[in-house]
Amino acid sequence: MTFSPGMPLVVEVALFALAVIVLLAGIIRPTPRGYADADAPSAPAGTTVGWVTLVGLLAIFGLTFLATEGESLLRGAFVQDGLAIFAKRLFLGSAALSVLGSLTIRHDAFTRRASEYHFALVVSVLGMSVLASARELILLFVAFELMSIPLFLLTGFLKRDAVAPEAAMKFFLVGTASSAVIVYGMSFVYGVAGSTSMDAIPAAMAGGHPLMMLGMALLLAGLGFKIAAFPFHMWAPDTYEAANTPFVAWLSVAPKAAGFVAIIRLFLEGVGDAALVWIPAISVLAGMTIVTGNFMAIPQQNIKRMLAYSGVAHIGYMLVGLAALSSSGVGMMLFYLVAYVFGNMGAFLVVEAVAQSEQSNDIDAYRGLHHRSPLLALAMLIFLLSLGGIPFVAGFWAKLYVFWAAIERGLYGLVFLGAVLTVVALYYYLQVARQMYIEKSQHPNPVPIPTPLAAAIVACLIGVVGMGVYPGPWVAMAMRIADTLF
Amino acid sequence: MTGLPILSIMTWAPFVAALVIMFAARHRPLLVRWVSLAGATVSLIASLWIYWAYDYDLAGFQFHEEIVLVPSLGISYLLAVDGISVLMSVLTSIIIFAGVFASWTVKERSQEFYALLLILTTGVYGVFVSLDLFVFFLFYEIAVLPMYLLIGIWGSSGEVLPQGIFGWAMGRTGVGTKEYAAMKLTLYLLFGSAFILVGILALYVAGGSQSFSFLTFEAMQIAPALQTWVFLAFYVGFGILAGIWPLHTWSPDGHASAPTAVSMLHAGVLMKLGAYGVVRLGIGLLPDAAVEWAWLVGTIACINIVYGALSAMAQKDLKYVIAYSSVSHMGVVMLGAATLTVNGLNGSVFQMFAHGIMTGLFFALVGLVYEKAHSREIFKMGGFATMMPGIAIAFTIGGLSSLGLPATAGFVAEFLTFLGTWSSDYRWWLFPAVIGAFLTAIYVMRVTKQIFWGPKSNDPRFQLLPDAQGTEWAALGILVFVLILFGLVPGLAIGPIDTATGPLLLRLTGQ
Repeated sequence: MTFSPGMPLVVEVALFALAVIVLLAGIIRPTPRGYADADAPSAPAGTTVGWVTLVGLLAIFGLTFLATEGESLLRGAFVQDGLAIFAKRLFLGSAALSVLGSLTIRHDAFTRRASEYHFALVVSVLGMSVLASARELILLFVAFELMSIPLFLLTGFLKRDAVAPEAAMKFFLVGTASSAVIVYGMSFVYGVAGSTSMDAIPAAMAGGHPLMMLGMALLLAGLGFKIAAFPFHMWAPDTYEAANTPFVAWLSVAPKAAGFVAIIRLFLEGVGDAALVWIPAISVLAGMTIVTGNFMAIPQQNIKRMLAYSGVAHIGYMLVGLAALSSSGVGMMLFYLVAYVFGNMGAFLVVEAVAQSEQSNDIDAYRGLHHRSPLLALAMLIFLLSLGGIPFVAGFWAKLYVFWAAIERGLYGLVFLGAVLTVVALYYYLQVARQMYIEKSQHPNPVPIPTPLAAAIVACLIGVVGMGVYPGPWVAMAMRIADTLF
Repeated sequence: MTGLPILSIMTWAPFVAALVIMFAARHRPLLVRWVSLAGATVSLIASLWIYWAYDYDLAGFQFHEEIVLVPSLGISYLLAVDGISVLMSVLTSIIIFAGVFASWTVKERSQEFYALLLILTTGVYGVFVSLDLFVFFLFYEIAVLPMYLLIGIWGSSGEVLPQGIFGWAMGRTGVGTKEYAAMKLTLYLLFGSAFILVGILALYVAGGSQSFSFLTFEAMQIAPALQTWVFLAFYVGFGILAGIWPLHTWSPDGHASAPTAVSMLHAGVLMKLGAYGVVRLGIGLLPDAAVEWAWLVGTIACINIVYGALSAMAQKDLKYVIAYSSVSHMGVVMLGAATLTVNGLNGSVFQMFAHGIMTGLFFALVGLVYEKAHSREIFKMGGFATMMPGIAIAFTIGGLSSLGLPATAGFVAEFLTFLGTWSSDYRWWLFPAVIGAFLTAIYVMRVTKQIFWGPKSNDPRFQLLPDAQGTEWAALGILVFVLILFGLVPGLAIGPIDTATGPLLLRLTGQ
């Protein structure tokens, strides 16, 4: 076998190399311990590590475009199909945006322990990347853990902070519990199917053995934890509130995308009509998630908590697309994922900009933002409108398409519920718009936005508006990927 | 047809003006107004030209324009007008033209105000002229969303504070403030649009259509069971915008809190979007269901007429009186549509036009009175006719049209509607309708007498008030003129309407 840059595992090896480089950078060039002055004239080593990570992630992102589709390794356990490549691009792209947004954090811990931070992040991306390709239960599980454990570390990164350790602990307990549930489910699946390869799942599901059903139900529950679907969503708001915002921007999209990829692989790929028995279960999960997320978001005073709950609702909408269990449903869900990445990350990055200036994550901090920084306010408005599903921005098409897929499956009730609850969602999004546009600010000075953060926000803005005005190519891409799975 | 995309010109002229204002006219208030006026004028001329050039003998949809947007889904930018949309476009043009004059005195952030107002106008035109349901929906959303900022930023909070349980509720929720009104209006209308979207998608998917074109849907045989519930979805969705009871409560709050031009446009034109949607999509696409649900639509319309009128009588705030009278008059529109007779439907569309002009005039007048007297409290004002005779006369003419006096447009509309009601399957609807007209007379006369013609108020604030001036006359003059013109020569409107309502009713079973 000759080497080519399009081979499977090349991306993973490159990510591993990047992780090692980042780690070594921290060892070889240690920054002065302790009292590194945040405003030191020479660029702190932390920033250099950040830039290295960013360039590395972008280079690997470019590498995915060389990947040849349809190859597999390890006797089919590691595949490189359309879905895997799509997911890897999404993980890498969102991670790059997150790193770009966090370059200018002047917190002492970030400059001092930058290589730790970026190492954990890259390793987590590596885990996601393997997960996207895994067609084997044990590999899937290992990848899940490789993804999750760095996330626990990153959540508690500010270890001297009052709330971070608690949030990290909560996240860790919930995460490991869900991992246990997943493994337990896998044991049943293996028992019935007789193999850890996912190729054996369709036949076992078609057999309809009760233990197989139990195993799959446990898997759904465990993955429900990972994607923060109701009733497994409680960890999200606390975690989001405590962790640093650019990381949260990424945490709110990438691991959830990974969870969805796992669900697609387990429940849909090649399963055919045997999957249809899961429509009621996934529909109920979707409906409850939408309702809980939207209603819990209303009373939130902290914008990160609000976005956390609204994120839960968005997971519900993606589940609506999934509940259709059709190729159009999966395609529309993938489209939704991309729209959600741009919209949600964009909103969190604006939150970061405002938080750096105001030292506050309260919704009140946005008071009169329009007068202070009109462009930043406009960007936030566009992200919120996209999340709210308003025409001409990405979120509208995303919602429309998942509803469409669900209607094709005849899930009128679910679509109706979802459509009505988008109005509830607009209520809390408009509350932020009200603070920005209608209320008056106490002080007129503009919010300073560091250039890298601004660049990340602009990238998200281009994504949201581009997908909103010209969704065609994105839809075509998502549909093509979905079609290969059936 | 001619090579000129006249419908697109009419639709997008305000939008272009809005862009010019945002980018080229920063911090130059006078230029902002002239650019807005130019945009509105282009639309006005275009709509009058369409009105003139439309071939009434040929009828049907004319001035087709088509650009394919998403071929795989059958979405295209497809514009065309029939008799009803021609008239509605003219109405929109008149109102926005007068509205630009009426808001000449907006001081705060006037550049953004005019830009949002004009974008809203593009949405309204778009709804009236688009034949592709998907594009229709997009325009509908454009027509709804700017309202939040328009009311929230430039609106005014209620002047007469609520008492008793409502006073407590206001403390808790901000009932009566402009922020509350803006949020309420936006959420209600978006709630409605969720119903509409589900209805359109259901028609497309379950009906097995390959295109979103209205004409494709019209040619389709839609199963009665599907029709039944899609009609309900459309009725609730558009009905919210048309102010059907009990989903009307956004309207008084929203219209009373909105700035003058926005109230004019919203009560004058946007509420008609709702009625237009029910007639166009509900009756036009779902004829079987329209017959099936006529009893519901008509009965609720009757409740609207009486309930709206009674509520208007109870108000102490002038703007709320006008806002509730809109609820009552929209009942007449819906009642005419529910009769499913030629006269009733003609009356319904005529009432859309007449009420649009009339309520536009009323809101312009309320805005003027408020600007001069800084009050909306009916029982504190009095005897204004001596100081502002022009405004008093215009208000009285509007009021007479509102109660349906012959020689005004309101009379023709109500007369046709009542005629249609009498020949419909549900004659008893006539009684609440006539009672509503009677109640209208009471509250209109009472308000007119109190504020303008009655004894002079002793309040020192109201001793020296100027009459309308300059550009304000333009707004009033146009609206009063149109109101009387269409009352004296109703054929101007009935001509176009008739070409559209006839074929519409032909599709109904049993007609």
